[in-house]
Amino acid sequence: MTSMTLTRRTVAAAAFAAGFVALSAQAQTTIVINGSGGSLAQIITRIYEEPFTKETGIKVRSTAPVSLPKMKAMVESGNVEWDLTELGGDDIIQARKNGWLTPIDWNIVDPDKKLDPQWRMADGMVTATFSTVIAYRTDKFPEGKGPKNWADFWDVKQFPGPRSLQNSPVGNLEFALLADGVPKDKLYPIDVDRAFKKLDQLKPHVPVWWTTGAQHVQLLVDGEVVMTSVWNGRISPLRKEGKPVAISWGGGALQLSYWGIPKGAKHPTEAMRYMKGRLDPVKGMEFVSLVPYPGFIPGLIERLDPAVAQDLPTLPANVEAQFEFDAGWWAERRAALTERWNAWLLQ
Amino acid sequence: MSRKFARTLLLLAPGAILIGFLFLFPLFGILKLSLFNPGFTTESFEKLATSAVAMLVMERTFVLALTVTALCVVTGYPIAYYLATSSPRWRTILVYLILLPFWTSILIRTYTWMVVLGREGLVNSVLQWTGLTDAPVQLLFTGLAVHLAMVQILMPIVIITCYSTMIEIDEGLIRAARTLGATPAQAFAKVFLPLSMPGVATGAAMCFILSLGFYITPALLGGRRNVMLSNLIDFEVHQTLNWSFASVLALVLLAATLVSLGLFRLVAPRRRDQG
Repeated sequence: MTSMTLTRRTVAAAAFAAGFVALSAQAQTTIVINGSGGSLAQIITRIYEEPFTKETGIKVRSTAPVSLPKMKAMVESGNVEWDLTELGGDDIIQARKNGWLTPIDWNIVDPDKKLDPQWRMADGMVTATFSTVIAYRTDKFPEGKGPKNWADFWDVKQFPGPRSLQNSPVGNLEFALLADGVPKDKLYPIDVDRAFKKLDQLKPHVPVWWTTGAQHVQLLVDGEVVMTSVWNGRISPLRKEGKPVAISWGGGALQLSYWGIPKGAKHPTEAMRYMKGRLDPVKGMEFVSLVPYPGFIPGLIERLDPAVAQDLPTLPANVEAQFEFDAGWWAERRAALTERWNAWLLQ
Repeated sequence: MSRKFARTLLLLAPGAILIGFLFLFPLFGILKLSLFNPGFTTESFEKLATSAVAMLVMERTFVLALTVTALCVVTGYPIAYYLATSSPRWRTILVYLILLPFWTSILIRTYTWMVVLGREGLVNSVLQWTGLTDAPVQLLFTGLAVHLAMVQILMPIVIITCYSTMIEIDEGLIRAARTLGATPAQAFAKVFLPLSMPGVATGAAMCFILSLGFYITPALLGGRRNVMLSNLIDFEVHQTLNWSFASVLALVLLAATLVSLGLFRLVAPRRRDQG
């Protein structure tokens, strides 16, 4: 009976097709990577994520912002949205303490052992250095006479105009002490009372305390403030656009940025493959020329154009001017000091 | 049960179930969070009583809500009166002019205030161009900015509620007062004003309750002192991870809203059917 055979064959063909579609749908995995967003995220997408998808067929979805509370919520509820996330220095210490991270299989990420052991941890990887430094409007001060360090930042007579600082004690206490004349090797343990007293001096001159990476540069560009603390990488895209802003490395806080895979992530193996892709020195060069957040990619510094290297926090001359931020000191005390900070700010 | 009762129940059921799941269920979740951290504890409530920051923020939130409501009523009432006593054609145009900004997103309006009040913004540019000042005045990130924006955002509510009560006032009553010898001012004060009070009370209540919960406007336009209860809740949720305390604060906000509603019901008499 021809019609019946046809029907059976059609059904078989349909079933095969459906199975094939289901299989290929499975091959279309998407990993979710969480970071700081903004212009930085767009550059990362172009340089790293899109080539990664072309190479492996794994799609990448990026989210923002970096938030330890969010990761805690995900891990505790069992509904883990992220496969990989950026984490700050004291974030990763807390995450590790509470068991919110998945161990990393370094055979996937760095099978040739190119990365220096100090940047490889059981549950994290150091991805970048960045600095919190002073940024200022070059058009509001005479040529070459912008603020060079935190003492200048606090000097409202010589460098008049409103300022902005982060709405958080982290970093600001160190800056206050540096402005008060404490040498950088004597910063820790921090004399908190002295720092708050110094900050009292600056408080009336700060109309707004920034909370996000996009906000502090916007304030500077809009002319709402003449100088502010910034994350160094946010200024470079602006300078390329020709905006009148510049940074000073004096007294900057050299900080490390990490990656971790949340515990219970849905695609940890694919995430680790992505991490491996980020260790590519050629792409690293392109990235660093646009955004001066160098990682410790083996072979990177040597290949760089000196003009690009100048903007990097890890350039020896720049390192000399800065101090090394101590995330460990903050990990224990952040909560209590933030409460004190909030009360202080409200008065 | 009677058929009518059964039918009413059936008609109300979908809405009630929706409210039950989407509102009451999460509300119980918040109640649970405030008392269990994770075991039963009253520490979050104790923290509320001892936290200077929370007390200060609550006080400022209430004061702001009261000030904004007062400003809205004082500026909105005359506008509503003008609206109610103008010709019908003119009235339609004016109502649209009032509602148009009201329909614009709150975020857009708040951002626009940033452009208007910024150091290199509209107001400062005009001030410097006319020579009234020679340096930018700090208008943004101040309490002034928050008040201005909140009044602008909430005023249409007060205007429309006052207006809707005012147009229902029988003009004959005013005319009667005049024929009985009252001056226009007396007719207004003794007849119109009391009759318009229910609308004012409604508008004020809505304005107050909405002001209590304002979040974006103080966050974007305010300075370090303009931290409202909702901003504090956000901080506790996102920064300090103290969800238990955040729940307590949220319950305070809810309680304040319910109390305001209760007071309003007491003060504003129920409108008796007219004729």
